[in-house]
Amino acid sequence: MMMTARGRPLSFYVLAGLMALLLIFLYAPMLCVYILSFQGPDGGMSFPMVGWSFHWFEVLFEGTGGHGIGDVPNSFRRSVRLAAFVSVLSTVIALSAGMAYRRKFPGSNFVFYSAIAAMVLPGIFIGFGIALTFNLMGWTINWWSSGIGAQLTWSLPFGLLIMFIVLGRFNPAYEEAATDLGANARQRFQMIILPIILPGIVGIFVSSITSSYEENARTQLNVGLGNTMPMEVTGLLTGSSTPVLFAIGTLTSLFMFALILGSVLLMGWMARRRAARSEL
Amino acid sequence: MTVSPKVASWLQVAPMAFVFTAMVLIPLGIIFVVSFLDYNFAQVFPEIYMGSWQDALYSRLTVDLYLTVFKFLLITLTITFAIGFSLAYFLVFHVRSNGMRLALLAAAAIPFWTPGPIRMVSWVPLLGKEGLVNQALLGLGLIDAPLDWLLYSQFAVVLAYINLLTLAMLGPITHSMAKIPRSLIQAAQDQGASEWQIIREVILPLCKPGIAIGTIFICTAVLGDFFIVKIMSGGQTNTPANAIATELAAFQYPPAAAKSVMLLVVVVILVSVLLRFVDIRKELQR
Amino acid sequence: MTQTDKTKPKAGGLSRRSVLKSGAAAAAASAFPAPMLWAQNIKDIKIVHVGQSYSTIPNIAEKANEDLDFTVEMQTAPDLTTQVNRMLSQPKSLDVTDVGNTTLKYYVGRGFLQPLNVSEYKYWDKTVPLFTSGTYPSGEKASMQGYAPIKAQYYTGPDAMEYSLEPTEWLVGMPLYYNADTLGIRPDLIGRPIDSWAELLNPEFSGKVALQDGTGVGVPDAAMALEAMGDVSYVDKGNMTREEIDKTIEKLIEYKRDGHFRSFWTNFDQSVQLMASGEVVLQSMWSPAVTEVRTRGVECVYNGMKEGYRGWYIMMMPMAHLEGLKRECAIEYMNWYNSGWAGAFISRQGFYNSVPENVKSHMTENEYGYWYEGKPATEAVLNPFGKVMEEAGVVRDGGALWDRMGNIGIWNTLMDEDRYLVRRWQDFLAA
Repeated sequence: MMMTARGRPLSFYVLAGLMALLLIFLYAPMLCVYILSFQGPDGGMSFPMVGWSFHWFEVLFEGTGGHGIGDVPNSFRRSVRLAAFVSVLSTVIALSAGMAYRRKFPGSNFVFYSAIAAMVLPGIFIGFGIALTFNLMGWTINWWSSGIGAQLTWSLPFGLLIMFIVLGRFNPAYEEAATDLGANARQRFQMIILPIILPGIVGIFVSSITSSYEENARTQLNVGLGNTMPMEVTGLLTGSSTPVLFAIGTLTSLFMFALILGSVLLMGWMARRRAARSEL
Repeated sequence: MTVSPKVASWLQVAPMAFVFTAMVLIPLGIIFVVSFLDYNFAQVFPEIYMGSWQDALYSRLTVDLYLTVFKFLLITLTITFAIGFSLAYFLVFHVRSNGMRLALLAAAAIPFWTPGPIRMVSWVPLLGKEGLVNQALLGLGLIDAPLDWLLYSQFAVVLAYINLLTLAMLGPITHSMAKIPRSLIQAAQDQGASEWQIIREVILPLCKPGIAIGTIFICTAVLGDFFIVKIMSGGQTNTPANAIATELAAFQYPPAAAKSVMLLVVVVILVSVLLRFVDIRKELQR
Repeated sequence: MTQTDKTKPKAGGLSRRSVLKSGAAAAAASAFPAPMLWAQNIKDIKIVHVGQSYSTIPNIAEKANEDLDFTVEMQTAPDLTTQVNRMLSQPKSLDVTDVGNTTLKYYVGRGFLQPLNVSEYKYWDKTVPLFTSGTYPSGEKASMQGYAPIKAQYYTGPDAMEYSLEPTEWLVGMPLYYNADTLGIRPDLIGRPIDSWAELLNPEFSGKVALQDGTGVGVPDAAMALEAMGDVSYVDKGNMTREEIDKTIEKLIEYKRDGHFRSFWTNFDQSVQLMASGEVVLQSMWSPAVTEVRTRGVECVYNGMKEGYRGWYIMMMPMAHLEGLKRECAIEYMNWYNSGWAGAFISRQGFYNSVPENVKSHMTENEYGYWYEGKPATEAVLNPFGKVMEEAGVVRDGGALWDRMGNIGIWNTLMDEDRYLVRRWQDFLAA
């Protein structure tokens, strides 16, 4: 049976196999990216490999002037800056909006279907609309105004839906108990709600970073001067480009692996500490 | 200071409502108006022209476009749900450590951090006529000639959707499932329910909110996508979003606008039907 | 269309007037030598050039900033659609732009670009005659099918409201670079010479052919093939009538249903991938893409077809909002761009510059001989970043500049019936 601690049932092995297959399937297209990033200096963006080297990583770190690298280092910096602002804003705004949905209120449909509209309307159109509106108002587009705004239209709907998942079937008994014990609204939020929705906050934060870092259609007309990563990469693919692009892919994966390994280790350490403390 | 619950909700939702009004509804308003105007050569004239709507509503093309995209949507939903639900079950009830569960989910998410255009480049060396898969199949003696439908086909489109969207189903279902109190399952077990019965009678109904949200993610992603269809079908399959992209690339805004408004209406209908079965918002209120 | 300028209420008005005004300022400025006090302000000026990945290269920006007293900032548009949408929705967020000929029809009379006076452009008399008079150097008239250079090179007047086929003193812009495209061929997989566009639709290559996506290039290519096969006859295949469009699309739908096309491609990299991976043995390509395929160790030839090449060009233009000193700087930057160094840089990718004379002094004899004169390379030919493109002894496919550019069958185009064409193209994609 599934609940017994001893002996794994057959379904475990079947499903573990499925999990492995999914991971292979997800990484299969990435495999080519990883291999091709070690292409020799004379090699191109597809097989065959012309020797193996770290050449394209070196080119990436040399900064401007390298072959087919465009303005990648600066674009990366801009994307990270944008993602930082967008993810913090999205988390705060979506968290707050999610809390609103714990009660019935007039206009809840309006906001919900606006979110659906934001997800469905072609990004190019939303981007064009924002740029046009700014132009009509006589404002100049800028990464910190229209740029962040355009990206929020993409990250917030996901944030709201994540809040729906996290807050769903959240037992109000905890809150009532806290109120009975004399906790005020702030204490209730800090002591009861926050720990429960923390995974949701992390989820929105991560999904917003991803949305911001990946978004192209809405962003490209609204960041003004200076490309973001996806813009620069798309631009580079319109001309002769090089395995530098694959080096970027390999590095982002490595960086994320390190980050996730780090957080898993940290969480394990925290759990052990908590366990040790509660034993006292 | 105390505020009424209604006002409290309004205050909490205000920032989001502001962003959507300013950045989505105003553009949507412009799109709506533009869809009724005449146009030519990247210019829109302030004259009423109903042709864009007539074409969007009554043409054979529209039927073809929606048939294609709904086929993609149904297949993608079925497969991602099957995989997503099974693996959520695995992660919640079979994987014992919290860390392991997170690590597996994270491992599945990492490939998505590579910029999309780079990721899409790598399908050719994998699925092409001289790609790794064909070479492996040839090497194993399973086929005599390379399979050409692996790439630049509708199969390839669906494969890419499954690759990109399984996680969008897996995540929400896992979250819903993890919230099911273990005592409930224990009780069912005590009454002699089989594993399969428990899944069908207890777990599945309680996962509905997660399934609904995963479905919304996938509906909006598939119906709104033009990039993946274009790359994976080699530009040879047309969907509503793709038709809009083609028109935008030709700077013909009014027909693209009419098609966009229509697409939005279709998705809103889909989502509201879905919410009729599972009201995810009700779950939040007591 | 009116444009309001909040900072200067008096100047608000029709763009026509502001163009006239800046034109007058420019005329005045060119009549007298630049006053000294401008030298100090000039450092604060920043010219934003939004272009495509083959013109807005960091190396060129670096050199421009070295040579010029003001700052030049380049931004690469992710694609043409974004670039044009940016010009339409936020014209003031850029100063100088360069675009392909298929979009030139969108800008005329819109008020966000301004003309360049012949007197302001230093190299007009050295520019190849394709642009100045619409002829080849032999004096013969170049093809007028499609969007030929002479169709959008001159404005009728300083108001930039209409294009003129006759030379005037108001240039639409500065022609930057151009090329003659043809079919890229995998000789190892075909095994016989290919010399006609008709081969693109030859059933022999069913499932091994690609087409460029979009109506500006894919349709002219297909029309070249259909005409060569004798399947469809056109009055002007660069500007079809509705009936001609119908016939073309119906033919193409038949081919598509038979699985004739392996794929359509939208960007450079896809075309290289298709060819290098053997997915496709025959497709219309860009010259640098063919070179890129070859540098991957895959044979690929790019010879001309008997029906001629498909030509295209890129035009660089100043935006309408520029005035005074900033306008001067933008024009100086444009002049710099065609003064040789940047032209040589771009020529090493396989494109031609419109002022070959200037480019020549910035290239080695071997480079110029190979790229422009159809001479065998005397030593290895390097790309702008120092990578070997061709070994010694190789001759450029198609030969010298005018062997290629002097034989244009059709230009990339934007047809009068564009609305109808795009609608029918949708049917083709959905079939």
